[in-house]
Amino acid sequence: MKFKQIFQRLFGSNKQKPVSPQNGTQADKSEKMQKMLMMLSNTKDVELTCDEVFALLDQFVELAAQGEDVAQLMPLVKHHLDMCEDCRDEYKVLESIVQNVA
Amino acid sequence: MDKRTNEEWIADLRAGGEQQAKALEDLRAIILRGLPYAIAGRLDPNSPESEALAEEVVQETLMRVLEYLDTFEGRSQFTTWAHKIAVRAALTELRRRRWREVPLPEMEMNEDGDSSYRELPDDQASPEDQVDRKDMLKRVNRIIMEELTDKQRKALMATMEGFPLEEAAQRLGMNRNALYKLMHDARLRLKKRLEKEGLTPQEVLSVFEQAGK
Repeated sequence: MKFKQIFQRLFGSNKQKPVSPQNGTQADKSEKMQKMLMMLSNTKDVELTCDEVFALLDQFVELAAQGEDVAQLMPLVKHHLDMCEDCRDEYKVLESIVQNVA
Repeated sequence: MDKRTNEEWIADLRAGGEQQAKALEDLRAIILRGLPYAIAGRLDPNSPESEALAEEVVQETLMRVLEYLDTFEGRSQFTTWAHKIAVRAALTELRRRRWREVPLPEMEMNEDGDSSYRELPDDQASPEDQVDRKDMLKRVNRIIMEELTDKQRKALMATMEGFPLEEAAQRLGMNRNALYKLMHDARLRLKKRLEKEGLTPQEVLSVFEQAGK
């Protein structure tokens, strides 16, 4: 099956526009400052890096899919995913794949 | 074809010849079934661009799988491990395409720090709250100026503006992992300095939350 057919079967054919990355309105700035402060508040002395989390991500996703308490089992991975949007995005996509494809 | 055990995947991919080719063909089909979940909501699935991206990512993933086969430790299904590599490759490329035209935000720094963050929207906060908030912003900006390196400030600004870490890292001439470490160091410095000044992030946050009410 071709990629496009797989895609259409899963998600339909509606075109989805990506959200504009530029949203630097004044109204967002208070929110951004709050976001930064939340990050500071959640900062730990020892944190895993993106590479370390990537090495464990497949295992983490499978444990989560099995209903395990991953926050308890792999707290440092969970914490990194809370802090890092790039890794969190990758986790969410991999989670969808494991739930629906793998 | 999908029912290989982890050991069988490894053996087939290491075998070379037709055995390896068949395993790669099967893995390719598996990865292609997963990729729509990476592309959904990020690119028009009907565009030639989307199909070309999928092809590009599959090729890259298969190459990486072979290259890093020895690092697979069997702590997950082999196919989950391969999907993980594909997801990273796909999202990296999608981020690059989405953000490539967007310049890193510039900071207009002065002795008080980034001026743009001193002018918050005029919401319904009381005059006292607004004064508190302005003072606190000035203080936070000063701490940012004193504690962080130029690179850390640029990275902080970029991530506050929503730049993906990976894309900000590339613009700053480093990789994502190194930027995460740099930002972790920046967060620790800011947190410790706030503590030294008798503040916790929660207390600073409460000033903004009250002001926003």
